[in-house]
Amino acid sequence: MMDLILGYLTIGLVNGSFYALLSLGLALIFGLLNILNMTHGVLYMMGAFAAWAGSRYLGLGYFGGLVFAPLCVAAFGVILERSLLRRTYGLDPLYGFMLTFGAAMIVQGGFQAYFGSTGLPYAAPDWLSGGLDLGFLYFPAYRLWVVAVALVVCVIVWIAIARTRLGSILRASSENAATAEALGVGVPRVFAATFALGAGLAGLAGALAAPIYQVSPLMGSDILLVVFAIIVIGGMGSIGGTIVSSYALALIESLTQALVPQAASFIVFAFMCVVLLLRPQGLFGISVVRSHEFLAARLPWIEPADKETAAKRLTGMVPVFAAVAALLALPMLLYPVYLMKIFCFTIFAASFNFLLGFAGIMSFGQAALFGTAAYLTAHAAREWALPPEAAIGVGIAAALVLGIVMGIFAIRRRGIYQAMITLAIAQMVYFVYVQASFTHGEDGIQSVPRGVLLGLIDLRDDTNVYWLCAAAMLAVLFGLRRLINSPFGMMLIAIRDNERRALSLGHNVDAYKLAAFAIAAFCAGVAGSMSAVVFQLATLSGVHWHLSGEAVLMALIGGIGTFGGPLVGAAVLVTMQHFLSPFGAWIVAIQGAVFVLCVLLFRDGLWPHALALAANLRRQDATSKSAEVPQAMEAIGR
Amino acid sequence: MPDADAVSLRLSHVQAWYGDSQALFGVGFAVRPGEVTCLVGRNGAGKTTILRAIMGLLPRQTGSIILSGREASGMRPYERTRFGIGYCPEERAIFSSLTVEENLALPPAVCAAGMAKADIFALFPNLRTRGRHYGDQLSGGEQQMLAIARILRTGAQTLLLDEPTEGLAPVIVRQIEHVLIELKRRGYTILLVEQNLDFVLHLADRVVAIENGSVVDDLETRGSEHVKARLLERLAL
Ligand SMILES: Nc1ncnc2c1ncn2[C@@H]1O[C@H](COP(=O)(O)OP(=O)(O)OP(=O)(O)O)[C@@H](O)[C@H]1O
Ligand SMILES: [Mg+2]
Repeated sequence: MMDLILGYLTIGLVNGSFYALLSLGLALIFGLLNILNMTHGVLYMMGAFAAWAGSRYLGLGYFGGLVFAPLCVAAFGVILERSLLRRTYGLDPLYGFMLTFGAAMIVQGGFQAYFGSTGLPYAAPDWLSGGLDLGFLYFPAYRLWVVAVALVVCVIVWIAIARTRLGSILRASSENAATAEALGVGVPRVFAATFALGAGLAGLAGALAAPIYQVSPLMGSDILLVVFAIIVIGGMGSIGGTIVSSYALALIESLTQALVPQAASFIVFAFMCVVLLLRPQGLFGISVVRSHEFLAARLPWIEPADKETAAKRLTGMVPVFAAVAALLALPMLLYPVYLMKIFCFTIFAASFNFLLGFAGIMSFGQAALFGTAAYLTAHAAREWALPPEAAIGVGIAAALVLGIVMGIFAIRRRGIYQAMITLAIAQMVYFVYVQASFTHGEDGIQSVPRGVLLGLIDLRDDTNVYWLCAAAMLAVLFGLRRLINSPFGMMLIAIRDNERRALSLGHNVDAYKLAAFAIAAFCAGVAGSMSAVVFQLATLSGVHWHLSGEAVLMALIGGIGTFGGPLVGAAVLVTMQHFLSPFGAWIVAIQGAVFVLCVLLFRDGLWPHALALAANLRRQDATSKSAEVPQAMEAIGR
Repeated sequence: MPDADAVSLRLSHVQAWYGDSQALFGVGFAVRPGEVTCLVGRNGAGKTTILRAIMGLLPRQTGSIILSGREASGMRPYERTRFGIGYCPEERAIFSSLTVEENLALPPAVCAAGMAKADIFALFPNLRTRGRHYGDQLSGGEQQMLAIARILRTGAQTLLLDEPTEGLAPVIVRQIEHVLIELKRRGYTILLVEQNLDFVLHLADRVVAIENGSVVDDLETRGSEHVKARLLERLAL
């Protein structure tokens, strides 16, 4: 037993090394650029591929690869930063988050489509193939080497930041980039260099990992979330703290692997939740107030001056009426399943849109709620043979409970941290479902019976399901609209715009936020339950964080904080998936490209553009001509 | 050698906005080399905004800003400092994660004639013993001195100083006033925002009065009694 534990500890040290290299870069980038770099996982993966490609096509040896890979990845990082990321500076950090999310989809999707998902082998040099026998413990030489390299590199970076002039420039720019620039510091170059450094460290980690794990396009997608959790646990602003937490958590993780294997995949996330409850600033973080200040940036698309337009946008629902009426009147012209998918996704997107657009809460874990509802509805209908209304009720209730739990954690932080927390919790939920038997693993719960709704409406008839879906969508959209215009909604918007003022006026801000979270969870639950009924299927993809990303994407395409945005976004996404299916494996990359373009070009979303266009057409009818470029076109960036 | 007409800094028709609200409405004036120009005006008049416009720190601005004969609008802030401009913001903006020495060494040199450390410590004796302290361990007066010292190190010849004596104890105020007088004697070009009219009239070669984001007066200070009366009336101070 002891041997087993010690063996796992060596694995912990190795993983800790990868975590340290990754979290160091991620924390530096976050501290300076205020961007949560969602590409960090693919940068790690690219490092492994660069080492592999260097050896295969350039005849580089292992050590050549160890230099070549970080340089390649750093160069890619500079290109990414200069061409895309810099366009989001000065905007809300959520844009940077979404942009890097899209970029990561492009890279990962592209690699997956090109290389497939099977791993490519990459060998360590012979002299590192032995091991070190310490008597009580056998430490493979290559792992020892990884730990040594990572530690040396981390310590060098740490000292360089704490002691050198370049380090002081980095620290000053992280603290206040505008002032540093006004003093003559070439901040754009500092940004590019820092991103390159972070990317290079990720690339080094990838090259080091290549001989241990196989070189595969998916190798970075799960590690990214763990590294996020480590940053939250370690706390921002402490490089030493980040490094220490990386190793500590990797050791805890591997110890769990030895003792309670089922819990290993989510122990880090559970740990993160505990830390957030007891010490929100993280173990080594400086202070909550400061990091709150740091993230208090307001969403630019819903500035207080926009309040009237936000209300106006809501009253501009007439076209939706028309569109929905059209869809209802002509259900059989279009493939009903396609329409029902749009409806379900509309409800799902509306849930995210409500949270972010009106409560200012960024949830990147909506898929956990969707998937939970889907699983439970499917299970209740199939195994317990409940009628559809009860099965749907069970699913929604489960989503609601989970949403409240998630909300309790999420509302403790704001902005990007909030996104990370919800993402981490969703990831835990995902791992639970991966292991639980009732979900039937990769197969999912199949052939879910639809039954007879309330004993009256036979849902085995597609037309009836279609009506049910359409009704659910309308109920959710208009229900949310009612809610937003109620005193409760006004209060949410007031909190979103100025939380401190709401607090000082004596409002129970946390209760409002939690209520908002619960409402959004309810809607996500409706979406999930409906999808289980419509597709008679509940699978892991319904809980996967990619689906959460799609909620963000739909809301963004449609226009966050708008009434009809979710419908437009869902229609675009579902249609896109429909038409892109011939591209097979490239679909993820194409979707990522659309995501990136949306962030760059249509930050307001299509819905406001559509409204402006409609208004224009109406005016053109009346006064023949006076084309007016939608003001949102300004959003193209510098 | 600059000829008589040369200016260190010239603003024309500068307009600026914070979000949708306009803060500057066509500001124009010039600062001549070796002179001290003071910006006066009531709170919220737009003095700080003018300095920020010169540095290019505003979200949106139009008009022309000429630094040492070159059009600078459209340049990034750090490029503007290359013309020998040193900016000392109202909030001082000492970096708390940097030591005093690191704060001093942060801005890159813009010309070879930067002030030597010994010289700086002679001007600001309070800083001499504080080299290893972090920025947030300094008093307000020390922070102000460090903020001025920081730009002298770079060799900047044109100094933009935003209310360097605001909120400080009288003895510190006097110390900083002495430094300003000494800097003028050494030939620095200074654009100073200052509330104390007596000190303004003592130091300035030219006073520019700002009201609601516009220049309402632009006066030479020779014959200072007349100027003072006029400024007092202008600003209703
Ligand atoms: N960051 C900002 N956002 C919005 N409005 C601002 C901002 N900074 C200044 N303003 C507004 O611009 C106007 C000019 O402000 P400015 O700070 O330039 O005044 P000032 O003359 O420096 O005042 P003071 O003597 O108080 O320093 C004021 O009406 C102010 O309310
Ligand atoms: Mg001011």
